Amino acid sequence: MIILETRHLTKIFPDGTEAVKDINLSFREGEFAVIAGANGSGKTVLVRHFNGLLMPTRGEVLLEGEPITKNLVRARTQVGIIFQDSDSQIVGQTVAEDVAFGPENLGLSPEEVAATVKETLESVGLSHLANRRPHLLSGGQKRRLAVAGVLAMKPRIIVFDEPFTGLDYPGVVQVLNQVLSLHRKGHTIIMVTHELEKVLAHADRLIVMHGGEVAEDGPPGEVLGRVGRYGVRQPYGNRPVETMTWIS
Amino acid sequence: MDQLNVFHYMHKDSVIHRMDCRIKLGCMVLLSVTASFASTWADFGILAGVFAAALLGSKLPVAALLRELRFFAFLILLVFLVHSFSVPGQPVQSVPLPGLTVEGVTSGLTFAGKLLLIIILCVVLAGTTPLSLLGKAVEWFLRPVPFIPEARVATMINLVFVLIPLIFSQAGEILNAQKARCVERRKNPVKRIIFLAFPLLFQTFKKADDLALAMEARCYSEKRTKAVFKATPVDWGILIFSAAVFLAVFFVT
Repeated sequence: MIILETRHLTKIFPDGTEAVKDINLSFREGEFAVIAGANGSGKTVLVRHFNGLLMPTRGEVLLEGEPITKNLVRARTQVGIIFQDSDSQIVGQTVAEDVAFGPENLGLSPEEVAATVKETLESVGLSHLANRRPHLLSGGQKRRLAVAGVLAMKPRIIVFDEPFTGLDYPGVVQVLNQVLSLHRKGHTIIMVTHELEKVLAHADRLIVMHGGEVAEDGPPGEVLGRVGRYGVRQPYGNRPVETMTWIS
Repeated sequence: MDQLNVFHYMHKDSVIHRMDCRIKLGCMVLLSVTASFASTWADFGILAGVFAAALLGSKLPVAALLRELRFFAFLILLVFLVHSFSVPGQPVQSVPLPGLTVEGVTSGLTFAGKLLLIIILCVVLAGTTPLSLLGKAVEWFLRPVPFIPEARVATMINLVFVLIPLIFSQAGEILNAQKARCVERRKNPVKRIIFLAFPLLFQTFKKADDLALAMEARCYSEKRTKAVFKATPVDWGILIFSAAVFLAVFFVT
């Protein structure tokens, strides 16, 4: 079943920059898709359209066949985006407060908010840090907090924008395990990254963007050999895709 | 500098942590007003005792907080010195410095004492109250006031305190990067401030933009879950005690 779809999506910024051009993509429920591309290829701009943070100049985004513009709150609860810079996403003064931000925006009762926060923190393994100041967490913990903030909204699709940037090895492994656990639970995962060697073994599909357009789209094994043409490094020479993970 | 945590919430299990935030805020207002009107040694003695009890009762790490308060020592000293040398009166016989007067020293000690008391009160409030709760208490107080968007005010209070450590951290990074390129060799302080201010402003606006986007992605709305406050007899007792301190300072001493 197609859960998310873009039709002729084009975004032109006021300065005339055409960031994405006529993008037609569809994502199946439960799919794990990786979007790669060089800097400025339009990856982040594309995914910010998925829950209406950016509105297209032309074209549309459909969530389960319905244009997201019909109900933006639904789009934002169903499509959670985890941004690259975790620090900029932290709204609360404690870990628990930060997770509560989304459910409180949805107007849940205080009891429901408390239950959601507890359940979400348990699911990402941050319960013991509930009263800690978020800015003092490690990079990996901050990224998990960002995931928790999104999970508290009960999304079906989770978009990770460059989730490994700035993380050390344990941080990458923590985040990757988190992503895989979410995928196993049935979430649709869309990950923007150019660090293919860390995650590609787990993906069903690799989309490569170049100059605001979809240059390649297909199973990772088929597409991988051509990524070098679009400014994305092909990891480990000609090694098989199955080896491209940081989880041993 | 982002580690400067004197005004940050610290989770502990104490009577003051558990207090109804509205009453805590009310007590703080009462005691701040009391501190700002304190004028005799007896006033300061009473308030120092009450504030020390609040600090100890809050289970906050007193020694660490006092160490952090050294950043305010300069400000307090400045207040004392300005008063000592600017208030006219009898010269101090034992210290023959031009401009130094007995009335000035007394006034300086009074104002420095008030400032110190208010800072301690703020430390207790900030250390025992999560900011979101404080925002919600402010929102609760503003609800009956017409033409004030109370939810927006609460969010703004929250965000200011979220952004402050980020701004300090950013300033530290920019300074270090500039030191690595020998900015100290520039003798013109105005130019050095400009070198710091422009990237800092740019980064701050960018961070504020990112934060706004992240809030929007999580369905930010002003119609949010309202906090439910519940005052206990202990809370009312503390409020009555604060009122008694206020009355004692105003009418008794």
